Amino acid sequence: MNNSISRLAGRRRLLQTGRLLRTREPYRCFSCAARYAQQTPPRSDASKTTHFGFETVAESMKESKVGAVFSSVATSYDTMNDLMSLGIHRLWKDAFVRSLNPGTNPLTASSPSEITGWNILDIAGGTGDIAFRMLDHATNIHNDTTTRVTVSDINPDMLAEGRKRALQTPYGRSSRLDFLEANSERLDMIPSNSVDLYTVAFGIRNFTDKARALDEAFRVLKPGGVFACLEFSKVTNPAFEAVYKRWSFGAIPLIGQLVAGDRDSYQYLVESIEKFPTQEEWREMIQQAGFLIPENGWENLTGGIAAIHKGVKPLKSS
Amino acid sequence: MVQPSLLRQTTTGLRKATTTSPAHPQTPPYPPSQPSTAILAAALSQVPTHGFTSTSLTLGARAAGYLDVSTQLLPRGVFELVLFHLATRRLALKDEVDLGEGEGEGEGEGEGEGKKMGVGAKVRRLALARLRANAPVIHRYQEALALMSLAGNIPASLKELAALSDEIWFLASDTSVDTSWYTKRGSLASIYAACEVYQSQDQSTDFKDTERFLDARLEDLRVVGGSISDVGQWMGYTAGSVVNVLRSKGVRI
Repeated sequence: MNNSISRLAGRRRLLQTGRLLRTREPYRCFSCAARYAQQTPPRSDASKTTHFGFETVAESMKESKVGAVFSSVATSYDTMNDLMSLGIHRLWKDAFVRSLNPGTNPLTASSPSEITGWNILDIAGGTGDIAFRMLDHATNIHNDTTTRVTVSDINPDMLAEGRKRALQTPYGRSSRLDFLEANSERLDMIPSNSVDLYTVAFGIRNFTDKARALDEAFRVLKPGGVFACLEFSKVTNPAFEAVYKRWSFGAIPLIGQLVAGDRDSYQYLVESIEKFPTQEEWREMIQQAGFLIPENGWENLTGGIAAIHKGVKPLKSS
Repeated sequence: MVQPSLLRQTTTGLRKATTTSPAHPQTPPYPPSQPSTAILAAALSQVPTHGFTSTSLTLGARAAGYLDVSTQLLPRGVFELVLFHLATRRLALKDEVDLGEGEGEGEGEGEGEGKKMGVGAKVRRLALARLRANAPVIHRYQEALALMSLAGNIPASLKELAALSDEIWFLASDTSVDTSWYTKRGSLASIYAACEVYQSQDQSTDFKDTERFLDARLEDLRVVGGSISDVGQWMGYTAGSVVNVLRSKGVRI
């Protein structure tokens, strides 16, 4: 069943940008589709390829395609997340922040000069969901008013949404919250060994080169700093997985079409979830980048629909 | 006739080689090279002042040269600190307790030269030594007991308690391999757990009350165990007699 879905999805020309680059396709009937597929020459400019949902695209293309997706969903992002996850994404994000327990109580410092707070880098955190939660946690749980969050996103539309929302929080005009438009594979503006906590929630799936992003995370983190990733993952229970697949491939693009008026972006969303590595593979990748893995390395949320992965940068990199 | 001494030799050899109960993995659970061990060890020294709290963990991480955020290496948080205390104290038993044996001769259980300690006396001394090892943190020990009793932590706590009970019986040179293997470990575990709860409220100097409490519980065990075996003996005798009486009356059994 999955096969037929993926074949259908693979044929669908996904996005506006993709469409512009091609000449208009001729009329395709069922009987001539196979012939048409054979005639289409492989893209010659694609020296290296990566996947964009179930489509294979040139690496240089993925960034712009993902950009188009998130530009189109930025304004309806929260409504859509609520509808697609039945409100559970809020619980995941809360659990993520609670497990990280950001912030330090100033009373634990031996001298006032020691109170520096954490320097947190929230990658792909455009709308500020995670950033506001972390600042709230630090302030309310630890009475910590020095911890800072830099929200980085590659997409200016998502960042604009985050800036708008920040004004409704106490952090909007404070120096504790910063916004940065950057590609997380090239964080040149952030010095090495400067970040306590690097978080990426539901973002790393869209990166063109995940290994490179991990290397960059390793570079910017202080020794002892933590890489934490909240991302869709693989459901462990087969029965639940069948239901989940039905929901994600059947309902989510439909909801996207009805509510956000954009089916293709949400089709991409579910396909990219399907393409993301399993818990074990992803842990391996984090370990390869040089991180220490605490215990088994991940924590499943809602039966594995999402998972929290963590890695700690060792004091001396061997 | 040769066999028993051979057997004894092998157990002695085994005991020297492993020094902890062979039922548990050879590698210690907290290798010193691990960063998490460094954090835990440093955090444990903060427990007398800050208790079994995340503050101790944070300060421990700082003392070990890590950042506050590095406590993420310990996914179970403060409970890891409790487990670390329990496991390190358990593993330290074998080095710290002098069971009055000379250099290396592990034989002479019960009978033998002069006043060798019996298994019971060894168990008492080991249990007492383990209780005394709680002394530096005893004023914060109720926090640890509370953490151990949380539903999610109970399996790990019971596992650690079972490991301690096993360790004590092993170090006391108990080699039984019948059902008493289970009853011994089970009863010692429950006695030890009761003693720890009692100890956390002990106001006496040098834990004299806890010592008395432990002795009373061990005495109870001896009395109950003795009664059970007496009752068993009586029932076996009576059943045999009944069968014989019936046979003498011509019943074919």
